[in-house]
Amino acid sequence: MRQAFSDTLVELGKKDQKVLLLTGDHGYALFDDFRRECPKQYINVGIAEQNMVGLAAGLARTGFKPVVYGLSAFVPIRVIEQIKLDVAHDKLPIIFIGDGAGFVYSHLGTSHQSTEDIACSRSIPNLSVYSPADRFELEWCLHTAYKEKSAVYLRMGKSDIGDIHKLSLGMQSGDLIKVKTGVDSRVSFIATGSMVKTATDISGKLSIDVDVWSVPFIKPINHSIVEGICRNNKFIVVFEEHSKYGGLGSLIAEIASASYPLKILQIAVDDCFSQKCGTYEYLLKEHGLDFESAYKKVCSFLQKL
Amino acid sequence: MEFNPKKLRRTVLDMAYTGSTAHIGCALSIIEILSVLYKNYLHYPENNPISKYRDYFVLSKGHGVMAQYACMLELGWLNNNDILNYFSDGSNLKGLSDSRIPGIEVTSGSLGHGFSVGVGLAMGLKLNGAEQKTYVLVGDGEINEGPIWEGALFAAHNNLDNFMAIVDENGFQAMGETQDIIGLGSIQSKFESFGFDVISVDGHDEAAINKSIEKLWKSEEKKPKALIAKTIKGKGVDFMENDNSWHYTRLDKESYQQAILSINRE
Repeated sequence: MRQAFSDTLVELGKKDQKVLLLTGDHGYALFDDFRRECPKQYINVGIAEQNMVGLAAGLARTGFKPVVYGLSAFVPIRVIEQIKLDVAHDKLPIIFIGDGAGFVYSHLGTSHQSTEDIACSRSIPNLSVYSPADRFELEWCLHTAYKEKSAVYLRMGKSDIGDIHKLSLGMQSGDLIKVKTGVDSRVSFIATGSMVKTATDISGKLSIDVDVWSVPFIKPINHSIVEGICRNNKFIVVFEEHSKYGGLGSLIAEIASASYPLKILQIAVDDCFSQKCGTYEYLLKEHGLDFESAYKKVCSFLQKL
Repeated sequence: MEFNPKKLRRTVLDMAYTGSTAHIGCALSIIEILSVLYKNYLHYPENNPISKYRDYFVLSKGHGVMAQYACMLELGWLNNNDILNYFSDGSNLKGLSDSRIPGIEVTSGSLGHGFSVGVGLAMGLKLNGAEQKTYVLVGDGEINEGPIWEGALFAAHNNLDNFMAIVDENGFQAMGETQDIIGLGSIQSKFESFGFDVISVDGHDEAAINKSIEKLWKSEEKKPKALIAKTIKGKGVDFMENDNSWHYTRLDKESYQQAILSINRE
């Protein structure tokens, strides 16, 4: 996914010299290609994220299309007020990339982990929120973000867990993508980012055959597709590497409660910070998001069928 | 347009009285600075506040916005109804600067934002090969904020000599004197050490402000500029000068009339 990110960024940068890449001294090897291909469009602003966002707002006002890169713990969390006031308030076309979302930086602790970014960003007006699951979704999200006339937060989580899709995508902004079609009409899985793969893996192990949906566009989201899923099912399981408060699970529940209420199980991060140091897989387990933990929760939930 | 300081101050008082608003002292301290900028430096082709070819004036200390409204009234960008209906239900002009009003560049009030946006504007103008200038007015209390200094480092590192910071050094912030709350020491030395061309000036002496800005722009050095304007909070109204309670106090009929008399006397 990171190579796809770099390739797409280079493509956009070469096509449009108004595209400027701003980084807060992060993304060392990730930008080698961009720096080589578009050297005048690369700005390392130093370890100063707040200034980076204000700077991007000024650049956007003079006709540029800034792509602001940081770790998602910093962009958008550290600079959420700058995004709100300097950017979103004035509908400026700036793309924010929050890399390493969730527990990617498992060994580094709470400062580098980010499970509140969707909740914070999706409550800001004029700010779209994207959360791609693989390189194909990322390419589509980045191209869509480039065409947007207002700001986008693009969440990049665990990036090396393989493809979900087989081909480049061609959906509309806001669409959910059906990753797997099941025959059981009682249950659907809805997932975003890294958890799409987990949802798909769990669906393959169940005795019932369920639909699995991926959500690359969290805001705006296609309400009619979500309402259709709610109407046609009795249970939904939502998977996300994010807090259970304010993320995709909350969003689906908001839409369901206003249209076709049904029971929803959230496979998400509880109201707690990570306690221990360890691998990414270890931390997923600590938070109950690994395959085995999630599978058990889903089985227990489905016993109520 | 004269941007007569007495007239601008009267407009500020009219708004403050009509709207029963706070933040009077910090608007009165920046009157001469704005007067000189609008009269002599800020170029708006065809008097268009959103012209693509305008100079940018960023009021980062959004609390002083009534002073800017007073200038915008002179420019014809606001009218008397805007002044008479200040703070009425459904009106447009807020108590802190809002970028949706043509002529106001950024939304402020949360401090320390406008400086970085101004640095971005200056850099964007440079990249576009444009000759326009960017001015950012900050308060001395406001420069407690960290992003100001992040932006200052960036502006100097990138030789943004089309950027000018103006510091309204009135010596007060919300809760008291700056020297008692977060001592700033020499603001001039701080900006110099950050790589700026700096001049300190009496912020109520229009001729001196004018000359200092001209000198800063004429400097051959490829540095961002900073004008440190020593001002008096509440300037022009005898009972408000250096009385920080006018950061919060509202005018009643009697104090409004006294304030107008004080301005007319000066």
